[in-house]
Amino acid sequence: MKKLWTFLSGTLVALLSCPVSVYAAENGSEATGVPLWLCIPFAGLLLCIAVMPLVKGEWWEAHQPLVVGFWILLLVIPFAVVYGAGMTAETVLECLFNDYLTFIVLLFGLFCVSGNITMEGDFAGSPRVNVGLLALGTLLSSCIGTTGASMLMVRPIIKMNSWRKRKSHIMVFFIFLVSNMGGCLTPIGDPPLLMGFMRGVPFFWSLHLFPMLIFNMVILLFVFYHLDKRAYKKDIAVGAKPDIRKPGTEFHIDGLHNIIFLFMIVGAVILSGVLPGMSAFQDASGNVRGIHIFGEVTLGFPSVIEIVIILVATWLSFKTTNPEIRRRNHFTWGAIKEVAVLFIGIFITMQPALMLLKTMGPELGITEPAQMFWATGALSSFLDNTPTYLVFLTTAGTLGFTSGITTTLGMISVKTLTAISCGAVFMGANTYIGNAPNFMVKAISDENGVNMPSFFGYMLWSIVFLIPVFILDMLVFFL
Amino acid sequence: MQENLQANKEKCREIAEKLYELDGEVYSCVGSALGRTFTGDRDNCIRSLAVLMYTKPDGHLLRSEMALISNMARTIQNKEERKRLMIKYDSILQEVAALPDTFGSVDILDLGRAQLNTSNLRQKFSEDDHLVVCIGRTQGSAGNDIGFALADALRINYYDAEIFDQVMKRLEADKDSVSDKASFTNFDKYKKKSGFHLKKWLRDFNRYHGLPTQDAVFFNMSDLICSMARSEDCIIMGRCADVILKNNHIPHISIFIDAPFAIRTQHIMEARNMNFKQASHFLKKMDRQHRKYYQFYSGEKWGNTENYDLCINSASYGIKETVDMIERMIHQQ
Repeated sequence: MKKLWTFLSGTLVALLSCPVSVYAAENGSEATGVPLWLCIPFAGLLLCIAVMPLVKGEWWEAHQPLVVGFWILLLVIPFAVVYGAGMTAETVLECLFNDYLTFIVLLFGLFCVSGNITMEGDFAGSPRVNVGLLALGTLLSSCIGTTGASMLMVRPIIKMNSWRKRKSHIMVFFIFLVSNMGGCLTPIGDPPLLMGFMRGVPFFWSLHLFPMLIFNMVILLFVFYHLDKRAYKKDIAVGAKPDIRKPGTEFHIDGLHNIIFLFMIVGAVILSGVLPGMSAFQDASGNVRGIHIFGEVTLGFPSVIEIVIILVATWLSFKTTNPEIRRRNHFTWGAIKEVAVLFIGIFITMQPALMLLKTMGPELGITEPAQMFWATGALSSFLDNTPTYLVFLTTAGTLGFTSGITTTLGMISVKTLTAISCGAVFMGANTYIGNAPNFMVKAISDENGVNMPSFFGYMLWSIVFLIPVFILDMLVFFL
Repeated sequence: MQENLQANKEKCREIAEKLYELDGEVYSCVGSALGRTFTGDRDNCIRSLAVLMYTKPDGHLLRSEMALISNMARTIQNKEERKRLMIKYDSILQEVAALPDTFGSVDILDLGRAQLNTSNLRQKFSEDDHLVVCIGRTQGSAGNDIGFALADALRINYYDAEIFDQVMKRLEADKDSVSDKASFTNFDKYKKKSGFHLKKWLRDFNRYHGLPTQDAVFFNMSDLICSMARSEDCIIMGRCADVILKNNHIPHISIFIDAPFAIRTQHIMEARNMNFKQASHFLKKMDRQHRKYYQFYSGEKWGNTENYDLCINSASYGIKETVDMIERMIHQQ
C-alpha cells in the first residue's frame, strides 16, 4: 500500500514538474475529445459512496479521505498524461477555487449558523404536524436557500419525531421537498437559478415556477401524509407514544439572533451573483477581477467578498451564541466533514463528465422542453446541477428562439427555460449526491437515531415517488 | 432444552440492559436534546430489545438499532469518553455475536404472547402482579353486564366510563371540548368535523402538543390504563386495553365476548327500545366503528380470535354462566 502511494505521488510530482508545453495543448477546446474512460474515477467514487457503507461501514467511515484521495489521484494522473500537467493543474484549481471553495464555505456557514439556533418545545411529531413543517420548509427554501432551510429545519423535525420508530421516510421527503424542490422560486433558492440570474434571467422570473412547485407539493405532501399516517399508526400499535403528560405545549427558540447571520449569508450569496456584472469588478476586457491563482485560474473578488462575509457571519455566530445551544442541538463536525471530504472528490472527479457534457450537450439534439427537463434533470441527479443547468441554458440560447426571456446567452423560450430550471432544481432530489443538503440531512439524521436508507435504498424511494411526479410534470407543463 | 432456553432468555435480557444503559450514557455524553435511540419506558425498551435478540439474534433490526447508538457515540467530543463508550459498545457487540443463532427456533412459542395463554396463568401472575382482565366485546353481546358482574364476583374494580373521567381530570379539559371517542357515539376519525373554529383549533393544537385530540386522549388513556394495571386488580372494558398492556408488558388476561348478530339485535331491540331495522343498523354502525378504532390504535383486527386469551359466545352461556366460567378459569378450578 505504502509503495503504491509512493508510486502515485511520485508520478504526480513528476507530471507537475515537467514543462507544461511538453504535454497536450492547454486550450480548453482540446477537451472536445475527452475520453470516456476518464469518467471511471467519478463512477468509482460514486460506487464507493453507494456500496462501502453497506459492505464495510466502519472502515469506510474511518478511511473516507484516503478513498477519496485515491480516486482523485486516479483521475489526475491519467488526465495529466492526456492533457498535460498545466491543464490538469488549471482544471483542478479552477474546480477547487471557483466551484468547491465557495460551495463548501457556504455550506459550512449555513451549517454552523443554523446549528446555533435551537427549538425547545414539546410538540409531538404527527402526520399533520410533519406535513405542516415540510410545507413551511419548502417555502422557506426559496427565501434562504435549500441548504439554509434544510439546516434550519432538520433538527426540529428530528426532535419532534424522536418518539417514533419509523421516521426515515420523513427525512426522505424532507430531502425531496425542503432540500431540493423548495429552492425553485428565487435565485437564492438554488445555485443554478443564481447562475441563470447572472446570465440575465430576471430575479423574479423564477416565480413562474410556482405552479410546478405547488403541483409537486400537493402530490408529494398528499402521498407523504398517507405514508406517515401508516407509519404513525404502526408506531402507536407497538406502544410508542410521545410524552404529553403535561397539558399545553411549551415552545421557544434559543439563539434566534442567528437569523441575522443567516440573512448575512443569504446577502453574501446574492452579492456573489450581482457583483460580477458591475463594472467596478470587471477589467477592460470584461473579465471579473480577482486574485490570480495559476494559469488562467482566478478567484474573483465577488467570490472573495462572499467567502469573507460568510466566514465573518459564522465567526460572529459562534462568538455570540452560548455553547450550550450547540450541545443541545447535538452539533458535531461529522456531517460537514463528511460532505467536505466526499464532495471534494465528487467535484474533481466529475470534471471529465462535465467537459464531455459541455462539448456534447449542444450535439445531443435536445430541443424540446420535455427533453430539456429530463436531460437536465437526469444529469443533475448525479452531477453538479449548476454546470448542468448552464450547459443546457447555453444550448437553449443557441436554438434561435424569437420570443421569450432575453439572456446573455440568447433568447430562450419561457417553456424551455422553465423546463431546464425545474429539471436542474427538482431532480437534484433523485440521489444523495444530487444536491449538497441531501447528504448533510442524511449525515445529521444518521447521527441522531434515524435509520436513513442506503444510497441505492434512497434511489428506490426517488424512483417510486419522484419519477412518477416528474412524469406528471412533463405531461402537464412541458409537452 | 427448557433450561437452555431460560438461560438464553436471561442472557438476552442482560445484554439488552447493557445496550439500554449504553444508549443512555452516550446520549448524556453527547448532551443532545434531539432524542436518544431508545425512547420510551426503560422496561419496555429492554424487553423489546431482548425479544429482538431472542427471536433474531443476527437480524438486521438489531444491527440497525445498535448502529444508531454507535453513530451517536462516534460524535462524542471528549476523546476519552468516546473511547470508553466505544470499547463498551464493542464488547456488547461481541456478546451479541456470541449468541447462539438457533435457540429461537426450539419452540413455537411467541414470547410476546406466550404469557397471555390461560394455561400460563400460574407463571403469569407473580405476587407483585395484579389481576387485570381486559374485556373486548361487540355491542349487544352483554359484554358490559358480564364485565360488571365479573368485577362484582371477583371483588375488584370495574373501569369503563371512569377511565375517561380520570383522563379528563388529568388533561384539565372541559367535557365539551373532547368527547369520549372510545364510547364510539360520535366516532369517525376520517369524517370532516363541522364548524371549524380557528381559535379552538389552535387551543387544542397547543394543549395536545400538535397531536389530533383523539390521539392525545388515547395516549393519556394508555398511561392511565398502565398505571391502574400496575397498582390494582381491575377489569377494563374495551379501549384497546389488551393491546396497551401487551405493549407495556403488563400481565393481564384478555377476553373477547361476542354473540350471533340476530341475538345481539334482539338484545338491542329490548335494551334500547328499537325496532329491528334500527337495531340492525345501529349494530352494524357500532361494529364498524369499533373495528376502525381498534385497528387504528392496535394495528390488529378487532375480534380476531388469535388476539385474545379467551373468546366467548355469550349467547351459549348467558351472563351468569359466562361470569362463572371466567371466574373458574381465573381461579384455576
